[in-house]
Amino acid sequence: MGSKTPVPDTAQRRKLAAGPLSSGDKWFFRSTSIAAYFSFLLVALILIFLFSQAFPILQSQGIDFVLGQEWLPEKDPMVLQLAPMLWGSLVIAFIGVLIATPMSISLAYLIQFMLPTKLAKVATTLVDLLAALPSVILGLWGLIVFTPVAAGWGEILNRFLGFIPIFAVEDTENAFRSSPWIAGWIVAVMIVPIITSVTREIFSQIDKDLINGALALGGSKLSTFRRVIFPTSSSGVIGGVLLGLGRALGETVAIFYVLNLVMKINWYSLLESKGGAVASWILARFGEASPAEKQGLMAAGLVLFVITLVVNFLANVIVKRAQPWGKNS
Amino acid sequence: MSTDSFAMTAENVSVWFGERKVLEDVNLSFPARQVTALIGPSGCGKSTFLRTLNRMHELIPGAGLAGSIYLDGQDIYGEDVDAVSVRIKVGMVFQKPNPFPTMSIQDNVLSGLKLSGRKIDNAAEVVETSLRRASMWNEVKDRLGDQATSLSGGQQQRLCIARSLAMNPEILLMDEPCSALDPGSTRRIEETINELKDSMSIVIVTHNMQQAQRVSDLTAFFLADDNVPGGVVEFGSTQQVFHGPIDSRTNDYVNGHFG
Amino acid sequence: MANFIQNQPWKRNSVSRRVQILLAIVVPLPLVSLVALLSGLDPTMTFITLFLPLQLFAAGLVGYLSYGKRGFGDAALLFITTFLSLFVLILLMSVLWSVVTEGFKALSPQFIYQNNKYVDQTTSLEFGGVGHAILGTLLLILMTTLAAVPLGFAMAIYLTQSQSKARNLVRTFTQAISGLPSVVSGLFILAIIEATGIGRSGLTGALALFPLMLPTVARVAEESLKLVPVDLRYAALALGSPNYRAFFRVILPAAKTGLLTAVLLGLARIVGETAPLLLTLNPSSATNLNPFDGGMMALPTYVYNYLASYYDTSQARAWGASLVLLILVAILFGTARIIGRQKSLKSKGKK
Repeated sequence: MGSKTPVPDTAQRRKLAAGPLSSGDKWFFRSTSIAAYFSFLLVALILIFLFSQAFPILQSQGIDFVLGQEWLPEKDPMVLQLAPMLWGSLVIAFIGVLIATPMSISLAYLIQFMLPTKLAKVATTLVDLLAALPSVILGLWGLIVFTPVAAGWGEILNRFLGFIPIFAVEDTENAFRSSPWIAGWIVAVMIVPIITSVTREIFSQIDKDLINGALALGGSKLSTFRRVIFPTSSSGVIGGVLLGLGRALGETVAIFYVLNLVMKINWYSLLESKGGAVASWILARFGEASPAEKQGLMAAGLVLFVITLVVNFLANVIVKRAQPWGKNS
Repeated sequence: MSTDSFAMTAENVSVWFGERKVLEDVNLSFPARQVTALIGPSGCGKSTFLRTLNRMHELIPGAGLAGSIYLDGQDIYGEDVDAVSVRIKVGMVFQKPNPFPTMSIQDNVLSGLKLSGRKIDNAAEVVETSLRRASMWNEVKDRLGDQATSLSGGQQQRLCIARSLAMNPEILLMDEPCSALDPGSTRRIEETINELKDSMSIVIVTHNMQQAQRVSDLTAFFLADDNVPGGVVEFGSTQQVFHGPIDSRTNDYVNGHFG
Repeated sequence: MANFIQNQPWKRNSVSRRVQILLAIVVPLPLVSLVALLSGLDPTMTFITLFLPLQLFAAGLVGYLSYGKRGFGDAALLFITTFLSLFVLILLMSVLWSVVTEGFKALSPQFIYQNNKYVDQTTSLEFGGVGHAILGTLLLILMTTLAAVPLGFAMAIYLTQSQSKARNLVRTFTQAISGLPSVVSGLFILAIIEATGIGRSGLTGALALFPLMLPTVARVAEESLKLVPVDLRYAALALGSPNYRAFFRVILPAAKTGLLTAVLLGLARIVGETAPLLLTLNPSSATNLNPFDGGMMALPTYVYNYLASYYDTSQARAWGASLVLLILVAILFGTARIIGRQKSLKSKGKK
């Protein structure tokens, strides 16, 4: 043993593979494999069907489908362009995430590090329950209860910060309601539970010894947060935020009720009563669309799906990489 | 075909995990109705070798093996040999007691028979016999319907032994069966081993050299170096390995100079 | 003035310290309210420009006096965290509060079991209800479950039991569908409806909900199966068990509660979905128990229909339906939680 001269591997090495042990096993593995491949099938089917319906539109409209600003199904030839809705979705999702993230992280910090255990458990259950809140209820609340309040905030923003372009408004009589500002808030309320859940979970996985070590070295709560908690959890939290972003991009009904959809890009006027959102646009146009316009809506759906695929993929990659200290280790 | 007095024989066995060779050219014979101990420092492949004896090693992705292992004159790694049939004849008790938590004590004892699809003609008798052989009938005879998880650690391990015994194996493999138990339970299991060897062969992996001396008839000493595949340094009667070892490394190990 | 700097941070706060903290929390509010009242400032403005800074200052002062410079940082952290958390909690509670209080007005026994066949926009709340919507929702989720649960479980089994190299790919694709926007799921089924000419019905609605429920069930089921200790499987195999028997008799019973949770969470996911149904199922005011023919109403689509109505009674119906929906979600969710907790209690009780 330990001799330096390489010994020829005369022994015939057999690669062992634990396969099905009986015909019962064969059926077991075969049927579960088929079921598993179903997920491929489903994604593929969705993409194929949507694409088949959307293709003629994408072909005829070209790149202007995502860059142009006119949606004229009646015109001959038909012009269908999605830019205001795409931009609007991005803006609203962005506002939503911007508002939701600090609140979510604060809430997660509060629950995990500041509340007594019993209270923390109740709070956790409550937050997780709210993540399952149907969006149509949020739409109802948003329209009837929250819009007046948020419009008031918007009005104040305009009054004092109106010199900043994003808060500027042309006509204060007809602004604030049904604006991207409101839609952004609704979306924020919707995604706070998701981000809070993920963040709290990550906070709970941080090795307590790390935190205690920092405190023992004389660190304050703030410095412990900045130097220990935040760095170790940041990538996981980002993953959670991206999950929220994905949800925000796909939100349909809640935005539909609180936003005035207008086919002209509203670049940055958050308080004006006009905006866009792809999912809500699809819902809005759906009822009275001609078959050709329906295809255009399918194309819009396809674009939306692709965007959310990318966002969710990024989110999962980041969250997975952020869990080396998690349950799996 | 008679195997003479050997229950199991390993010939030129080498073991891989993926590309890494962990055991080189192991040759061991396990006589019938005797207890063989496998000793050696951590990580030298004893448990891995044990798992090749009942074809559990192949459950690990990328597992590789060379050589032959004969049970009843047949190479268990032969072309047409069904792993299940091997495992029915070769029982295994694990390091950490693992009775099935959703089953009662009684059901646990019978679980092997049910899982391997055998018909049970006389369940109560099988249960009693197996529990007696595992030296625990008196303790649990009045609560056979209780959940297996209500037993203490030592009792759970003996339940696992009973479970394996119900299958009437020719050989029982034990992978450090007492390392998670207190001294009292350990002692009882060692007594059980002594009683069992009248009816079967036992191969036991153990870190505890006193235990090896107490229970085994034969001992094999495994050793591995960093990045060098492990192997058997010495194999002989327990008396000889511990009190008159041939190899100096064996001497060092059994006298506590390392490990 | 005594030396306020806390030299012994481990000491419990002295009485004077506690008084300070209490004052810092309690004083700014009445002070600011007084100023606001007297000067007639708008409440929101007062809050933002007077109360918050004053509160921050007071908290920071106490912190600084207690612990010096780092005390200020800690106090600021405490302040910001508490403020933001309270703020968002108020918003979230507002949602629940509105649904409960407004919905309660419409709630009555007849609301639960009657349908809206003879009801119009202005009919008083004594007539009509969500009976047909509740049945519709139940029927839809039943159908979706029949497809999503076996398939989802099978996928979870594949991911945990087989050793195939394709597992990561399957997991990735499952995660991909879990991000499917609900309206796109509706579009997908709609595309099929238009391509094949089958009519809209409860069945098509359930088909649209299916891709939304499946990934949730699969993911939670996979996690539950992963929690079963691997040595149980080894023990079963070592006894001579084929894989499928080891699975059904050992692993599955051990994962029972987790799998049930998977179903419940999947249900909670789809019970409130609106957009897919709007595209694939015609609403109806009558009760229709035939899933293969005709329109059907579900709770979320009911809310949708009455939501933006001009008439108070219709809005009240929307709130009422929301409350029913919320209760349904809470029941599903609560059951999942209770089951989960029972299981962990059981395993804790052993040692």
